Amino acid sequence: MSVLSFCEWLNETSSSIFLRESTWAYPIIGTIHILAIALFGGMVAMSDLRLLGLAMRREPVSEVVSRFRSWESVGFVIIVVSGVLLFWSEPVLCYKSLSFWIKMFLMLLVGVNALIFRATVYRNIARLDDSPITPGGTRLAAGISLTLWISLVLTGRGIAFF
Amino acid sequence: MLWDLFQWWGRSPVGTAINNSEWLFPVVESIHICGLALLIGTIAIVDLRLLGLGLRQPVSQLARELHYWTRTGIITMLLTGPILLSSEPRYYFNPSFRFKMTCLLLAIVSHFTIHRSVTRSDRITPLSRLSACLSLTLWIGVVLGGRGIPYFF
Repeated sequence: MSVLSFCEWLNETSSSIFLRESTWAYPIIGTIHILAIALFGGMVAMSDLRLLGLAMRREPVSEVVSRFRSWESVGFVIIVVSGVLLFWSEPVLCYKSLSFWIKMFLMLLVGVNALIFRATVYRNIARLDDSPITPGGTRLAAGISLTLWISLVLTGRGIAFF
Repeated sequence: MLWDLFQWWGRSPVGTAINNSEWLFPVVESIHICGLALLIGTIAIVDLRLLGLGLRQPVSQLARELHYWTRTGIITMLLTGPILLSSEPRYYFNPSFRFKMTCLLLAIVSHFTIHRSVTRSDRITPLSRLSACLSLTLWIGVVLGGRGIPYFF
């Protein structure tokens, strides 16, 4: 079964039609998606900016990173679940959108970046406070994270346009 | 009179540019969304602190440090918002847009009055908690209002 035929099949399921045609389902899901971006995106940005040494310099890196982590995870789950539902409501439209595919590729990179974070930043959080400047590898991971999230917003918005 | 202003803005070079370009609106809107994550995200961090959640550092210290970023968010919104508005002056009549602007006005006023005084001190009082809840509610109202605009045309 090709990806296109899967999307076409999904498009015709009653759940997909419901999400698409219901007056309130799609707006609520879209709102949850963007609220989660508003509330948790800021934390992700601040956490990455702290790792880059650009924000919240008075707070120890380990504090910022560890305290935001669980909130960020919850936020990420909410964003992904609502995102999947958004896709579910318009599978064929998403399939036909180049922006959607770029976004999916970026999500893959987010996954890779998360593994890198796991192996570096989160493996020994306390060690991040050892020096006033975080190690280069950590800063690169944080910079990539920030860039990826901004690109996700751009490509997400772009789905309706191309 | 305000409607005349909206129309004038729609006919301005900004309004013309955004309506003539295929990509300008989504790009500006994406910046608008990133700006809102910065603005509301940083405010949420302070509000959560006031509610005893998240970071443990002194309130005033957090507020002081984050305010630079909150201000960056505000400036981003104040630039991108009117640009987006210039594409469709009829937002003026849109109930969701009016709701959004009401929440925004209240949110900004409370942010620079109650919220500011509450975050100047490290003591957390019932007023601090109330201010945090008010702040979160109003800013979420702004997002909801914005999100609802397409549905009320």
